[in-house]
Amino acid sequence: MHPETGDPRRGAPSDGEVVRAVLAGDRERYAVLVERYRDRYARYAARMLGSSDAAEDAVQDAFVRAYDQLAQCQDPNKFVGWFFLILRNRCFAEQRKSRSHVSLEAASSVPTGDRSDAGTETAERRRALQEALMGLTAEQREVFVLKHVEGLSYIQIAERLNTSVPSLKMRMHRAYDKLREQLRDHA
Amino acid sequence: MTKHEFDPQVKQLLDGELTLADLPAELRQEGEEALRLLAAVDREPVSLPAVTWRVMATLERRRQRRLTWLLAPALAAAAALALWLGRPANPPAAASSAMVTVRFVLVAPGAHQVSVAGTFNRWDPSATPLVRSGSADMWVATLSLAPGQHQYAFVVDGVRWVPDPTAPAIDDGFGRRNSVLTL
Repeated sequence: MHPETGDPRRGAPSDGEVVRAVLAGDRERYAVLVERYRDRYARYAARMLGSSDAAEDAVQDAFVRAYDQLAQCQDPNKFVGWFFLILRNRCFAEQRKSRSHVSLEAASSVPTGDRSDAGTETAERRRALQEALMGLTAEQREVFVLKHVEGLSYIQIAERLNTSVPSLKMRMHRAYDKLREQLRDHA
Repeated sequence: MTKHEFDPQVKQLLDGELTLADLPAELRQEGEEALRLLAAVDREPVSLPAVTWRVMATLERRRQRRLTWLLAPALAAAAALALWLGRPANPPAAASSAMVTVRFVLVAPGAHQVSVAGTFNRWDPSATPLVRSGSADMWVATLSLAPGQHQYAFVVDGVRWVPDPTAPAIDDGFGRRNSVLTL
């Protein structure tokens, strides 16, 4: 992931400039922000929800909600961090809604990116891990995804989620034990 | 510690605070098992190229609907008698004496949340939730609406827009159907 302030390429408008333009009535400019960040959080959403289709719906919905609430984005230069929290809420709401529907089918629908014969074993291990991730609580899964999929440090995660490192570690260590238990059959 | 729990030092290995070589010999095998778990983490990027189009199309569709709402003539008619449930028990104030009470009903098996969005609430899917009634699959909401023509659709689980199967519908110009209610 990238810094919270975004990193527009040289010459491209900053997030703050785009947000201010949209709020001033240039609605079409919002596509710049969608284009810039839609894929950055796609993986987070896919791993959290266990399905690329669900991730697509969540990311789309989060962008629409962000548009509706854009005037409430207190620091337009930090649009991306603010947007992440909207997407996060959306993912957690979806999790609560479909808790009883988490299925192996959903877990296996996450693209593994490695479907060759040589990668079959790797793909199977990835599928098993994603399936096991879906058995964690959303809070446990989130810290695992942010650290081990997105590559954030505990300190970065704590800043992003406004929590403490010890609390994150406790959540993560419970996740490790639960994953180990669930993956026993795949060892 | 149960047999399923990793040793605290192995958890430090998973956290990146220790290496396999830092572990005592008796924990090496458990450490290798832990590293195999991390090796299965899928870090392949996920791309959602359709999202830009979908978001902008949604915003444009809503803008068009709001425009329609602003331009629509207030057509007074008495067509939707089937939806008429009668006036409120207490005589309303003069300003609202013409309001009509309408009951929206949708049978939506498996739905977790249903709302109605239309010209009367600026197409806001969160403004008018329906509540379950009787049958677990039946959702209802009762509204007081001004006489005239209203367009609306039900929103199931916050994402699926469906026209009212019991009401006439018109094309919204973007490939979807809006239900029409004339009071």
